[in-house]
Order: sequence, then structure tokens, then C-alpha cells
Amino acid sequence: MNNALVPVNADESRSELIQLVSFNLDQEEYGVDVLKVREIIRMPTVTRVPNTPHYVDGVINLRGKVIPIISMRKKFGLMEADNDKQTRIMVMDVDGELMGFIVDAVSEVIRISGSEIQPSPAVVASAIDQECIAGVINQAERLLVLLDLEKMFSLDERKGFVSL
Amino acid sequence: MPPIDCEDQELLEGFLAETTELLEKLDDDLIALEKASDDTELMNRIFRSIHTIKGASSFLGFDLLVKVAHKTEDVLNRLRKGELVVNSEIMDVILEATDLVKLLVSDIKAGEIQERETEDTISKLLPFLSESATAAQAASASVAVAPEGDGVAQPISSEQASAAPAASSAPIQAVTSVPPQKTGGEVVPKKAAPPPKSTDGKGEDLSDNTTVRVDVKRLDDLMNQVGELVLERNRMIQINQNLQQGDVNKDDFNEEFSKLTKRMNFVTSELQMQVLKMRMLPVEKVFKKFPRIVRSMARDLGKEVNLQIFGEETELDRSVVDEIGDPLIHLIRNAMDHGLETPDERVAAGKSRVGTLILAAVHEGNQIIISIKDDGNGIDTDRVGRKAVEKGLLTEEQLAAMSQREMFDLIFLPGFSTKEKATDLSGRGVGMDVVKTNIKKLNGLIEIKSERGQGSEFILRLPLTLAIIQSLLVEVEGEVYSIPLSSVLETLRVDQRQFHLIGGQEVLKLRDMVLPLLRLQKIFNVQQRYDKDDFCYVVVVGAADKRMGLVVTRLVGQQEVAIKSLGSYLANIPGIAGSTILGDGQVALIVDPVGLIDSVEGNSGR
Repeated sequence: MNNALVPVNADESRSELIQLVSFNLDQEEYGVDVLKVREIIRMPTVTRVPNTPHYVDGVINLRGKVIPIISMRKKFGLMEADNDKQTRIMVMDVDGELMGFIVDAVSEVIRISGSEIQPSPAVVASAIDQECIAGVINQAERLLVLLDLEKMFSLDERKGFVSL
Repeated sequence: MPPIDCEDQELLEGFLAETTELLEKLDDDLIALEKASDDTELMNRIFRSIHTIKGASSFLGFDLLVKVAHKTEDVLNRLRKGELVVNSEIMDVILEATDLVKLLVSDIKAGEIQERETEDTISKLLPFLSESATAAQAASASVAVAPEGDGVAQPISSEQASAAPAASSAPIQAVTSVPPQKTGGEVVPKKAAPPPKSTDGKGEDLSDNTTVRVDVKRLDDLMNQVGELVLERNRMIQINQNLQQGDVNKDDFNEEFSKLTKRMNFVTSELQMQVLKMRMLPVEKVFKKFPRIVRSMARDLGKEVNLQIFGEETELDRSVVDEIGDPLIHLIRNAMDHGLETPDERVAAGKSRVGTLILAAVHEGNQIIISIKDDGNGIDTDRVGRKAVEKGLLTEEQLAAMSQREMFDLIFLPGFSTKEKATDLSGRGVGMDVVKTNIKKLNGLIEIKSERGQGSEFILRLPLTLAIIQSLLVEVEGEVYSIPLSSVLETLRVDQRQFHLIGGQEVLKLRDMVLPLLRLQKIFNVQQRYDKDDFCYVVVVGAADKRMGLVVTRLVGQQEVAIKSLGSYLANIPGIAGSTILGDGQVALIVDPVGLIDSVEGNSGR
């Protein structure tokens, strides 16, 4: 499963078909490798966890397993928005651990070929860490930002979410 | 060299398993220490490991092992006290010594003790123990170049050759280390042989902690319970079907369903007990090595002791059993060495010649209580206090302000010892530190009762298991938290106007005790939801020997909860030990009283 990463430097896998789950966040569309997504659920009650970074909303009970919930908006420094009917939690596999990410809406699973992935433009002022952007997909009508979840958290964060 | 004359094979196996585990960790720790030499926690851990190895091998009579471990410990002790500075040379020697310990242990494991060259390694350790240790460091560094001139032993290792000249700079030890050096050319090949073997020893570790042996009867019982559970499930499906088809009236359904709920409740709790029991071991497994320890210690110390053991059939979780061995050994050693007097002293004090040491285990609710009681001298608080001041562990003013109980607690400080000189048995001030660390790790409490001239009693309160705990659910401004009941001593409803403020710390006068308070709302940053109320609840928690009051809005009740991990990302949140899922499917966080108490102490210390 770990090998099924989205090809970042897609030299040999140019023509390979990749499936992405696309979701919305503050007007923009993002995509993650479908193999990383375990399930998509509606917002349950989230238990707040004290003394964690602001983007950790808390933990939920996912059928007997307790998993952390991350607000994508807060993590990327976007405007906060109220949860509505469209709000979803994408439960994803990050470095072997399940984690839920709150997104505005999940739209569909799309197939693209590796050759469609372009390196992300060097944006000067971006709220999102350049690190975790694996590339962009520029298809006729839409622009999709491809995320690499493994790079979502810094080394320090990976050691543990503790705010001091 | 005597063959292994170990009476009890199981005893030996226990020793090997424990030592192997310690040695495994020791390697990593030592390497880590070289990189972070100012990490006192790490230093203490390394020291404790070697100390434990030494203690265990000494009562089993592995003299060679004791000798090496003892000297290594001495060097580590100097490092710990800051008399020596960690550098690569010292580490080389210490690592060599640990390799030697491994080699000796693997010999024991293989079943035959071989004659090993230990003098060489020991003589390398000795220079670091002489008064002019820093000079020795310098000397060995400068001499490291010298052997090239000799033309002997060049290819083998310069550090081995350097050790002897360094030793001769410390005159006392010159005698032991010189002979091997003189015959250097022949001895060296022999010495070169052991290291590869010791690496073999590292590979074939015997650690069988991953498998469990279960009584077949218990397995059958379990199967029966599961059978019943299946029956109840079928019943549930049936009831649901009836309901869906709509051919039931409400009363019937209510009755059926409440019956089912009761039975389900019964079956699941039985099942839980069964599974829990499978993880249980009688405490006898730990206790049975004590008679021997006590006997040999009594002989060494010239004391007469009658050891009485009660409740050895008491069962507790294997994870707990694995952890309490060490602390108990140290407590017994402490009682033997410091508690009980010599026969003559006892007679003079009007007691019987033979001292009594009672080791007892008993269940109490969801806890197991282990007590180590002696009828010796009791704790001399004056002497303890004086020693603590002498060692610079606290100031005169601090001492003067201490209660009796706080004085008792002094003995748990790392580095504390009333002994003038460290012996094979005790005196380094590690033992009680081991006790405290291990008991804390298990979420347990230590209580000391002691009366001058009458004896002392150490009472350990340990949870039965670490997977399912009894907990007290509390509400903090609308949020529910769970506090392990094993740490809860009592709960009180108090008027907040009774709180006092001492140096910015809220405290409550509780009988003869001043209880520091911690508002969960504050440390967990809970938003205020209710209007300010004068009355609140205080949950008095204790960890090891400390007490603290947690201020909460409301008590919800007591519940048995299964501990769920928060995953690696959220593992290190201060004050939070884990989480659990409540009856309504909500997640509630489990408070870590031990961590909270530590954090409060840390803050007040700064």
C-alpha cells in the first residue's frame, strides 16, 4: 500500500492511470490518492483534546477505534467555516495511522494519467505548505491540487501533536 | 570456576530473561548517552539497569558477573555524580564491559561457565575510579600513541594497550594489570576472541514474553461464555425481526428486551473476566525468589530473619507481574539492610533475636495490595532528614517545614542513601528510585507506615490490569473526563471560598494535610459554560507518595472503561493518558494523574 503513492516525479509512470478522490476546501479542489482514503463519513461528535495544535479538532470514535480529527482548513490556514450538510470527514492512512480530515465536501473519484500531473508552480505566498503539494492537475475546466499526506506534517508534528 | 549450581531452574530462567532484556536496552541507552551526555534521566536508567543486573547475579552467586557489573556501576556512578565526563574513551570501556557482561550471561545461558579473562576489562575500568580520574583520562589519551613504538599488539587495538599504562599511573591497581601486559604478545589473541562471541550472544535472545500459557479449563470456560454470547445474539436478532414485522406489542417487547439486556450484560462481563483471568498470573511467580534472596542476604549481613509470605496465590495481570519484581527486591533489600537490626541490637532493644519480615499480597476491589513489613528499627526521620541536607538534596529550611510523611518520601529521591559506603547490597541510593519509577509506571501508589523502634511497612497498591480500568467519570464545564479510580483516594464537595492561595498555588486544607489543587478547566483549557458556582467537587488523587486535588464541576459516576490508545500523534499530551469510549459512543479522555502531579511539582520547582 505504501508503494502505491502518487508518483511525485512521475518519470516511469507517466502513462499510468491514477485514481484520486477529489474534495473541496474553500473554493479550491484538491485530490488525494484513492488508496490512502479508508472511508468518508459525516461529522460525528468530536471530543476536544486539550493542549494540541489549533488544527487538531479532537478525536472521534470510529467503530471502537479512537482517531484524531484534523481540520484541513485550520491546517492550511484558511478561513474557518461552519460545518454544513456537505461537510465530511475523510479517514485516511497517514504513515500507517488512521486520521480523519475535515473537508468542505467530497465530490468524486477521478482517473487521471500520471502525465497529467504537473509540478506545482512556485507560489510565493501560499498558506499551504509547499511540501505537501505533490503537483497540480490542469484539466480543461478544472484545476486540482494533488496532496501528499505523508508530507502533511513536519518531523516535529509527527513525533506528537503537542502545543507548548 | 564452579559449574552453575542453581537450585531452581526457574529462578535462573527468570534471571536470564530479565538480564537479557536489560542488556538489550542498555546498548541503545549507552549509545544514546554518548550523544546526550547531560541527559540525567538516561544516565539514571543505565545505572539502574546495571545495578539490577548486579543485584540479581549476586544472589545467584555469579561472582565473575558481579565483579564486572560492580566496577562498571562504580564508573557509571562517578559519571552520574559528574565526577567524570562522558567521553568516547570511557564509553569504549563501558561498552566493552557490557559486552563482557553479555558474554558471561550467554555463558550462563549456555549452561556452563567458562573461564573468561575479566581482569583485563576490569583493569580498564579501574583508572576511572581512582581519585585522579581526570588525570587518568588524560594519561590514557596520550599513551594511546605509545604502543606503536613497542611493536606489540599493534593490529589488535590501541585502547587495550593503552589501558595498562593508564592503570600504572594509578599505582594501587598496577599489580593486577601489569602481568597480562608483560605477556602481551600471547595474551592478546586470546583477548581478541571474546568480542565476536558476545555479538552472537546478542542475537539469540530468549524473550518468550509474547506467548501465554493458558490452563485448558480456562479456555473451555471461555468457549462456553462465547457460546452463550452467540445465543444471546441470536435472541437479539429474533427480537429485532419481530419488531420489524410489527407483530409485537410494546409491553412484550419491553420485557423481552430488558431481559436480553440483562443477560447480555451478564455474559459480557463474565467474558471480560475470563479473558482478564487468562492474562493473570499468581504473584507467587515473583514471590518465590525472595526466600533465597532473604536467606543469602541475612547471611551476608549477619542478621537472623524469619520471612513469612502470605497470599502468594493472589493473581494479577502479567504485565504487572513483570514490573513488580524489581521494586519488590529493592524493598526487601531495604528492609533487610536498613530496617532489621542485628540479633544483638535486637536483644538489647528487648526484642526477639530473630527479626520478622512479612511479605503479603491481597486483593482489594480492583487493586492488589502488596505489603512488605518488618519489625525492625523503623525509619529514623531525623537521620533521613540530616542525610538529605548533607547530600544537598534539600535545604535546612525545606527540612524544617516537612511533615513526617514528607520525610518518609525523602527516601525515594534518586541518589539518596543513609549509607556511608556503597556495598554489594545497597547504599547507592538507586533502589528506592527504582521502586518509585516502576510503581509510578504501573499507576500504583506507595504508602509508608513506620514507627521508631517498631518497624516499618511499605504498602504498594497496584491496579489488577492495565487494559481495563475502573474509572471515575467527571464533568468539567460540560466535557467528560475519566480519572483512573486506582489513583482516586476520595472525592469532596467543597465551597470554593475555602480554597487558600499559597504562592499563587491554590490549596485546600484537608484534615491535617494541605492539598495542592489543580483546576482541570484551566489546564485543559475548557471553555466556561456554566455560571460561576461556589460549590465544586475536588477529586483527591495520589500517585506513588504524592497527593493532589483535581477541581471539577460535577461527578458523573463510576464506570469500568477499556483504555484506547490515542495513536502515536496524540500520545504525548501532558495530563492525558489515553481515551475511552463511553456508553453513548462518545470518546472521553482519560486523565493522567501521575503526569499532572509531576507537572505541578515541576512548576513549583522552577
